Amino acid sequence: MKMKRAAALALALVMGLSLTACSNGADNQPDGQTQAAGGQSGAGSQSGGEKIVINFFHRWPNDPKNSMFKELIDQYMAENPNVTINMDCILNDQYKEKIRMVVSTDEIPDIFSSWSGTFAQEMIASGNVAPLNGLYESDPEWAGKIAKASIDGFTFDGEIYGVPWSQDGKVFFYNKKIFADNNIQIPATWDEFIGVLDALKAAGYETPIVEGLTDNWAILHYLGTMNQRMVDPGVLAKDYTVATGEFTDPAYVEVLKKWQQLVSYMGEVCVAIDHETARGTYFATGEAPVMYLQLAEIPHIEKLIPEDFEYGFFNFPAFEEGKGDTKALTGAPEGFMISNKTKHPEECEKFLKWLVSKNGGEALTVKCGDISSVDGAVDETNALPSQLEAMDMIKSASMLAPWFDNACDASVYTVYGQGAQAIATGDETPESVMTQVQEAAASLH
Amino acid sequence: MEALAFAVPALLILSLFVFYPLVRNMIYSFQSFTLSSVAKEWVGLKNYMTLFSDKIILTCLKNNILYALISIVIQVGFGLVLAAVLEDVAFRKLSPVLRSIYFVPTVISMTVVCLLFEFIYNPQIGLLNSFLEIIGLPGLTRIWLGSKKTAMFSVIAVSQWQSTGYVTMLFIVAIQKIPKDLYEAAQVDGAGKIKRFFYITVPQVRQMFFVTMILTVSGAFTVFNEPYILTGGGPGTATMVLSLHMYQTGFVKNNMGYASTIAMVIFVITALLSSVQFFSFGAEKGER
Repeated sequence: MKMKRAAALALALVMGLSLTACSNGADNQPDGQTQAAGGQSGAGSQSGGEKIVINFFHRWPNDPKNSMFKELIDQYMAENPNVTINMDCILNDQYKEKIRMVVSTDEIPDIFSSWSGTFAQEMIASGNVAPLNGLYESDPEWAGKIAKASIDGFTFDGEIYGVPWSQDGKVFFYNKKIFADNNIQIPATWDEFIGVLDALKAAGYETPIVEGLTDNWAILHYLGTMNQRMVDPGVLAKDYTVATGEFTDPAYVEVLKKWQQLVSYMGEVCVAIDHETARGTYFATGEAPVMYLQLAEIPHIEKLIPEDFEYGFFNFPAFEEGKGDTKALTGAPEGFMISNKTKHPEECEKFLKWLVSKNGGEALTVKCGDISSVDGAVDETNALPSQLEAMDMIKSASMLAPWFDNACDASVYTVYGQGAQAIATGDETPESVMTQVQEAAASLH
Repeated sequence: MEALAFAVPALLILSLFVFYPLVRNMIYSFQSFTLSSVAKEWVGLKNYMTLFSDKIILTCLKNNILYALISIVIQVGFGLVLAAVLEDVAFRKLSPVLRSIYFVPTVISMTVVCLLFEFIYNPQIGLLNSFLEIIGLPGLTRIWLGSKKTAMFSVIAVSQWQSTGYVTMLFIVAIQKIPKDLYEAAQVDGAGKIKRFFYITVPQVRQMFFVTMILTVSGAFTVFNEPYILTGGGPGTATMVLSLHMYQTGFVKNNMGYASTIAMVIFVITALLSSVQFFSFGAEKGER
């Protein structure tokens, strides 16, 4: 009995120890932050700003991006010994939750990453985001290198609230060899596109186009582009605004009908797989010749495809009856914002300017494969040809249309995504889904 | 007085981590706010009115009830049978091995289990469809997680696979406490194994029966991981459950007030069910 008790006690001790060990490890980052906060106030009292601490919060804890940021920050701190940059990061959804919580408080980090569109607006609504027009005006040479269309994603009522860091666009990737073998031209209109899919089907490709429809966001990427191409821009802008959204235009039903038509080419299985599976087991193997992918997915594709696999891009085709800009590209920049509560606005701006330039831009494209917002950050010597083509594609777009889930309220797009998924399984019709969307939009007024 | 002193630490912790959040949540359910909003606006019963026009709530309730019913039948019912079989003399030697095997799923992380089952359910390369094809039943292959008809059952099956072993373990403990002479007396009287199970084992483990009922039913109404990882509530809203709906409302749609209201619904349901079970169990205890 005694032995048992002793053993239990020992076990409890060990568990307790391991627990503290765990929490120590996990707490490292916040600890760093509190220290930093202490240091900051200390710096203030010393006056003169000898030691400067900048809290930097972003959403890329995964490699290669995390280590890229670490290297860049180390480099910057070596060049500016009086500056300490405390980096903290957590992944996407948790990042959204945390930054939403801290943005309206005093805990707001000095520099933090943000999506463009509605998310940026939400951040700005807190009143704690500094407008950066001065930063752009004071250094035209630096500002001229930043992609204009991406700056637009952070511009609201003439004020620029962010510095775009990466750009992305959604285009159809196609298998060049299969297209050439079957003598298929790149489609410019929807009917031509359907013709291409029919031709591929006739050539023996059971799933001429593929998507993993368990991922709601993948569906939303389609619907966002399709709405943009089809619906009158004025109506779209009105409906995407929370206070005035109605979604009563018949064009929306038309879009979902096209969606219904499109998913009929994706095979039965599409509703049970996710985007990555679709990409890896269908597109990269040549089983499905067409897939709607983000340009940021180029590095993933490169890792998956065999040597002789060649792929090209084309933008979403135009709807014959569509009223939207057919040269627009769906895709949005991500960037950084500066808090207006920061004690060192100049130092924050200086660091951002340093980061969003050839320094960071080249690292971003070469090491991580993302498309940098900095013009000339990469060239033939250090980037893949497809990346350069992607940069051109973004540059030649007439405008960047935001992702659907950045363009309208979550209550609306969630219903949209679930409904479109149910259309694919045959459980809902375009009309019934639009009724639900209209209800969701009306409930926000 | 001394008794109170012993209760204080537990009471403190409970108040801090259970009662206080509960009360706060109740207050939140009458307010409208987002994660980033500074001010919380009082909206009275508006959130509760929304409940009645929310079609997803109905789907959720239906799915949670289905979850609870199947869990009771499989985890509690089948778990008890399994426990009785393992405790039978015939299995004496094998029992420790089997017990461990049945218990292993319980200690695997839910996320791992779900990812594993995602692979099993994969319509093309998944184990389940391949197995059905190999044994000559290709007609039974389905797009398990991608069809409205099978998705919810597929999700529920994962929890059954994982939790039955745990409930079985609880029953084994209860069965081991049953005095052996009861069985011996019944055997002398000529009762077979099945009769002994129904007339001795089942009544004797009644207490554990209620415990496991509370566990599985409240578990079924708070289930989140399985549908979240496996289907995300899809296809459409076919596998939405209350807690997933609450999460999406709060953290995706950014409507924390209404999410708190859904949380209240979950709380009321689980509280009612457990108190019904608790009191019926308490009454029985008094009778004996």
